[in-house]
Amino acid sequence: MPTKHADNWLVTSKNEKRGYIQPQLLHELWFHTSTSCNLRCPFCLEGSKPGDDRLQFLTLEDAKPFIDEAVELGVNKFSFTGGEPFVNPHFSEILDYALNFKLCLVLTNATEPLMNQFARVKEFNSKPQPVHFRISLDHPDPTKHDKSRGKGNFKKALDTLGRLYHEEFGVSIARLMLSGEDSAAVDRAYAPFFRQAGVPLDITIIKFPEFHKPGSLPDVPEITEDCMTRYLSASQRDGFMCNYSKMIVKQNGKCGVYACTLVDDDSDYNLGATLKQAMNERVMLKHHRCYSCFAFGASCSEGACEDTKEEGQASA
Amino acid sequence: MHRLKVHKVIFHTAELFELQLERADLSFEPGNCLALFNDAAESRPYSISSGVAEKVLRFLIRFVPHGEVSSWLAKRQPGDEVQVSEPFGWFRPGQAEPEEDSVFIATGTGIAPFLSYLRSEPQRQPLACLYGVSLAKEAFALKKLRMLPNFQLAVSRKTTDNHFHGRVTGLLAQLPLGPQIHYYLCGLDAMIDEVSEWLEHHNIDYTQIHREVFFYADETR
Repeated sequence: MPTKHADNWLVTSKNEKRGYIQPQLLHELWFHTSTSCNLRCPFCLEGSKPGDDRLQFLTLEDAKPFIDEAVELGVNKFSFTGGEPFVNPHFSEILDYALNFKLCLVLTNATEPLMNQFARVKEFNSKPQPVHFRISLDHPDPTKHDKSRGKGNFKKALDTLGRLYHEEFGVSIARLMLSGEDSAAVDRAYAPFFRQAGVPLDITIIKFPEFHKPGSLPDVPEITEDCMTRYLSASQRDGFMCNYSKMIVKQNGKCGVYACTLVDDDSDYNLGATLKQAMNERVMLKHHRCYSCFAFGASCSEGACEDTKEEGQASA
Repeated sequence: MHRLKVHKVIFHTAELFELQLERADLSFEPGNCLALFNDAAESRPYSISSGVAEKVLRFLIRFVPHGEVSSWLAKRQPGDEVQVSEPFGWFRPGQAEPEEDSVFIATGTGIAPFLSYLRSEPQRQPLACLYGVSLAKEAFALKKLRMLPNFQLAVSRKTTDNHFHGRVTGLLAQLPLGPQIHYYLCGLDAMIDEVSEWLEHHNIDYTQIHREVFFYADETR
């Protein structure tokens, strides 16, 4: 193992061996477009807000080598998150390039930055590969959504969802998952809004638990090797995002390959400067957000990665 | 991030002021914002209202008495430093294709990105510009705006002899309409919603409408 990591990388606070994932393949490559966002949501796991530069704007020059390397490694999908991707002035050209190779997924709040570039977005329909948009609609209640995201933003996001679907783009939504909720009932509560937007009632709804702000240290159980084998099956371990995905992040002017979409606030998870290098690195489940994957099966991906079902033994 | 020196703070009315910062080497495009930080590292985005070649960066700011950032900025003195972000933005007034025209509609300090465009000495002027304020004395840069071919000021609270009395949306029937015109809307969300709906109702395509929403009440956006 590399020696760059903190002392607690391999063992827990009780000196037990940490659980880990040994990545097996690169099914999906994420790009963090930057932490700049047009909104300022109090729950944002990235701490994104207007003008924020904790993670900087990725350019096409930054992204292109990783897109090319990922294609060489057999990637199936490129996904983009932020911040708000459409705030990044280079985002459209990055997406345009990526759509030459593989299906792309864009996570967006679907407000002014996307709305103002809708003419450009429509052009992506003529690219060789499809693009799919996942829109944040936190609650099936405009008042609750707007309390965090700003007045009128539920209506805009819903309207944009309908317009994207009407233009024949794939669409889904992401929502917050509250502790103790009746998840099926919450999902059903979106139906009238989907009807209003003119989208099918069965579009995918991705649910996210509370992830806490960057750099926070919530008190969650630590994951040991024993936990990983005692409580999870091999196929459940294969479902961890760090088994089949990576994320490209630009910080302090340099790009790095991070273990997944949820750990960019901890440099221990910067696994290298190239995808090949990063794929060889074992991912220790040290971050508090790793517990969300362990306990809730949290995943930023859509559609299970089936490719690893045959060989899921290299993680514990 | 940058630290820029305060050049001037000019109170336009008791609630509106222009903050001028020395520009240093920052470059920007009309429509860009900067996040301005207070000394507690809280920030808010403000649109630049100066031209791209001016030596100072100007911001039109509504003073919010309990606002964490605007109230701190209002107390700055020449020579004080303010931390700012890199310029950013998703609103590009007047930057339609060469064969296309533009129309500007603003309320309050939402005139800032349009002033930035006009002060940047563009080759093309907008076909029309509508500007809504509560009181006539709140209007910024009227001398510059009156030079535009179809400029109208709408004053909603008090009747005046020289201006339209009412909300800016009361002037929509006068707007030029067509598939080669782009409509740039900046200001409060209620105006933007109403104008967007009106334009779509009059067969203006969604892709011809560009929006920038300002919030004042609690300084959140």
